[in-house]
Amino acid sequence: MHKKWFTLLPVLLVAAAFLFVGCQKGGTAKVRVKVKEWDIPFLNCLTGPIASIGEFLEWGAERAAKEINDAGGISGKPVKIIGVDTALDPQKGVAEMSRIVQTSLVALGPVPEPVIMAAAPIAVENEMMTMTATTSLEYAEQFFPWSISWFPKTEDRLPPLVTAWAELNPEMKSAVQFLGNYGPWPGMAAAHKVGLEKAGVKVLSDVEVPQDAVTFGPLVVKALNQKPDGIVISCWPEKAAKIVQELKSRGWKNMGRILLFSSADDAALYSTGGAALNGAIIYNYINVDVDTPRWNAFKEAYAKDHNGMQPPSLSTNYYDAVYMIKEAIEKTGVTGDPKKLKEERKKIADYCRDVKNFQGLLFNWDMAGGVPTNKPTYLFEIQDGKKKLVKEIRA
Amino acid sequence: MQVFLAQLINGLSLGSIYVLLVTGFNLLLLVAMIIHFSYPQVVVFSMYIAWVVLRYTGNSIPLAVLASVGSSILINLASAPIFQKIMKNREEVDINSTMVVSLGIGMIITDVLSHGFNNGLPIAFPQEVVGEAALFRVGLISLQYGQVASLAVGALAVSGVFLLLYKTRSGRAFRAIAEDPSGARLVGIPLLSTGLQSYALSGLLGGLIAVLLALMLGYASPGLGEQVAHKVLAVSIIAGLGNLPGGLVVGLALGILEALVQGYISGSWSNGIAFVVLLLVVLIRPRGLFGIKL
Amino acid sequence: MPLLLYYFLSITAINILMSWALYLPYRVAHLHFLTVANMAISGYLSGWLVQSLRLPFGVALLAGFAAGTLVGYAVSLFIGEAPTFTVVIVGFTFIYISRTVIENTPAVGGTLGMFGLPLVWSTPEGHRWTILIILGVMLLLIGFLIHRFEHSRLGRAASAVFVDKDLATSFGVDIKKLGMLLQTFASAVAGGCGVLYGFIYRSFHLDFFTFHLVGLFMTIIFVGGYATMWGTVVAAPVLYGLSLLLPPAVASWRIVIYGAILVGVLVLKPEGFITRRLAVNVERLLSSKRKS
Repeated sequence: MHKKWFTLLPVLLVAAAFLFVGCQKGGTAKVRVKVKEWDIPFLNCLTGPIASIGEFLEWGAERAAKEINDAGGISGKPVKIIGVDTALDPQKGVAEMSRIVQTSLVALGPVPEPVIMAAAPIAVENEMMTMTATTSLEYAEQFFPWSISWFPKTEDRLPPLVTAWAELNPEMKSAVQFLGNYGPWPGMAAAHKVGLEKAGVKVLSDVEVPQDAVTFGPLVVKALNQKPDGIVISCWPEKAAKIVQELKSRGWKNMGRILLFSSADDAALYSTGGAALNGAIIYNYINVDVDTPRWNAFKEAYAKDHNGMQPPSLSTNYYDAVYMIKEAIEKTGVTGDPKKLKEERKKIADYCRDVKNFQGLLFNWDMAGGVPTNKPTYLFEIQDGKKKLVKEIRA
Repeated sequence: MQVFLAQLINGLSLGSIYVLLVTGFNLLLLVAMIIHFSYPQVVVFSMYIAWVVLRYTGNSIPLAVLASVGSSILINLASAPIFQKIMKNREEVDINSTMVVSLGIGMIITDVLSHGFNNGLPIAFPQEVVGEAALFRVGLISLQYGQVASLAVGALAVSGVFLLLYKTRSGRAFRAIAEDPSGARLVGIPLLSTGLQSYALSGLLGGLIAVLLALMLGYASPGLGEQVAHKVLAVSIIAGLGNLPGGLVVGLALGILEALVQGYISGSWSNGIAFVVLLLVVLIRPRGLFGIKL
Repeated sequence: MPLLLYYFLSITAINILMSWALYLPYRVAHLHFLTVANMAISGYLSGWLVQSLRLPFGVALLAGFAAGTLVGYAVSLFIGEAPTFTVVIVGFTFIYISRTVIENTPAVGGTLGMFGLPLVWSTPEGHRWTILIILGVMLLLIGFLIHRFEHSRLGRAASAVFVDKDLATSFGVDIKKLGMLLQTFASAVAGGCGVLYGFIYRSFHLDFFTFHLVGLFMTIIFVGGYATMWGTVVAAPVLYGLSLLLPPAVASWRIVIYGAILVGVLVLKPEGFITRRLAVNVERLLSSKRKS
């Protein structure tokens, strides 16, 4: 009898130890997922004037989905990105969003701002998070807590960046800014001004770029007539490229004293501007020269699908958004049970709004109340369609 | 003074774009009685074709010009039966039907360009073709090769088309079948072949305009045609529908006005101010400044 | 009420009303694109009244109608009997001007737009029903007025002007007054639609009122049938519904499909699907059924 007991005891102890360790792993007893597949709708702009942007945003999201599925999916189930084209049409955007809120846990987009304004209120009313990862905080915060911003406050983030650029050119005492009157760009231009003035650079004027401008001689002459030492360009990518070309054709030599803003960092800038952009500085939020296997694979895949082009900075936003959703689902034990839709939507939203040390494709960051903290920004020099890191700035 | 001269040149350059497009627009009006609202989109399509040919032939300019002209002619010939069918009364200009049909054609062209070429991105013409250095530069005054070419060709195109339509037998035949097909048939003008020739002629002009715009702008995008279409229509109306010399004057004037507003007032007000001026002109002279020539 | 149904009905109603607003001046051969500018002006005005001055929605809606009427009337004084081309240019001009003014006016949100318009009722469901009821009433009222107009002397006069302006004048039709009436009425309708459009979305953005809308309403009128008011009623829901039902691979070519439909209809059925003859025959059939 005693012999039997002594034989069984170690076995019982080992079993108890396993049970104890299992319970210690954050309570992640295996979640019984109710879905066969995680469908994540993405309200995007796949046709129309900004179809080229919509294409690489979708590409980033699909890439993330592919990687996740190759690694076993979300809680063991595959994820599928359902592209929903709104073609910049708010009429379509509201109809699609009203379909999405019936069953979806979370949505990506909408893109761009007019569709956000029309469709995001529907998500808010239905208490579903919609991740508007390409718009400014000024738009995203209107829909808190059912949205998160991918960008910090403009007035906090941009001035140090522009100051850093001005400090690279200490002989620069004055600047002119080309401004496209669209969405949050006037606010960004105002933030640029603050940064320049902090560095002792006087902003002589803002030269407004009409949305349908096809030639840029008049605007460039107006700018150059003021004899600025530096130029800041805050307008549409293709127009920004043409402005740079026009500046060069009128004798502008010091390319390092041209600063292009982040919204101009798009394939259209490089396909229009080509070698004329060489030497110009552009700021943005991802550093393409980071050397990690994950990022290198992303870059290689992007170049393969896009004629050798480097990934634009926004291409990683929805890639990261998909991974953030994955993390939210797995860490909060979301099951996809339709009966728990409301509760699980809240779980995902609450998680994303205050996620800590989220491991993005290029850097880690925290969210506080839906606003990212500690995200870096970078100054790059453009050379042959590629960006070379000049400086990293953290606000 | 230097700034003013520079803006004047900029204005003439911008105006020459309008002149070229309005001339092609007016030609179609005169030979076929159609308001082709999306004529600029057809021209942009031809620019894209030229770009593709340049890419695949190592920048062969003659082939690109041929391709551009060829595509423009083909589109015109393909759309000819559509326009002829929907016009209810061929002696008059049916702005409504032809405008709406051309709107539809424009929608198709713009979307095909967004889908089918360069992933929807703008295209840039090679620097070797466009030319990088200015022909002439003094201070802020700068003259590019493309600007000179389009201004010169614009003026020549207007003169050439005017002479062709009003001083040659073929031109009179084109106008006759547009204005009075029955009468034209009565006097022995072959309707089908003459009609096809007239559409082909406007296609030829469209292809050449595409090449000039490529030289001058150095780029194109799917939305480029839409951006100028309203102004092209406005210039034609303000000048007087079908009025070729009027189109030249008003086109250049609009370009200069826009350049001066952008240069001295504000870029974001340039469209508003330009259209207000156009509006005032059209209210005072509803038949256009120089009269309708249909 | 299912959300999708609400948006489908409300946006279709707006499209019908706005297409009617284009249809009416077109009865005298005027393409009155000013109506799109009216939408923007009245819409933003109402938004400002509600958000900044805290006026009730009803007052803002009435102000929207009033603004549309005033602008339409003032402009019609100059273009009531103008040639078609002039009316087209006026429309374009006002679209450009209204956009430029709005984007340079911080009080109405400028380029950012106007966010968070309040509910017009205490609950979201109530808000939706209120909007739908208002739209329904507008559809019935305006539809009734247009129907009466078409069967009146004025309607016949308009048809005469459309066919032959000079002949109509010789028969004593006052073209200017008729043009002014139709343009003013159209602008009034557009003003109200602009307000409701924004309150459907609960926001305003400049890109809600672009030339794309001009193309949309023209497509509805010409595909549905420009000779009667009923063509719009048929085409608006079909075209909107089509865009929602197309599978994703096909939907990406939506614009090409619309363009092809537009061209195809104009070539094969120049008057549109609902022709005047068809409308008259249906009306006769219905009235004979009523009598029997």
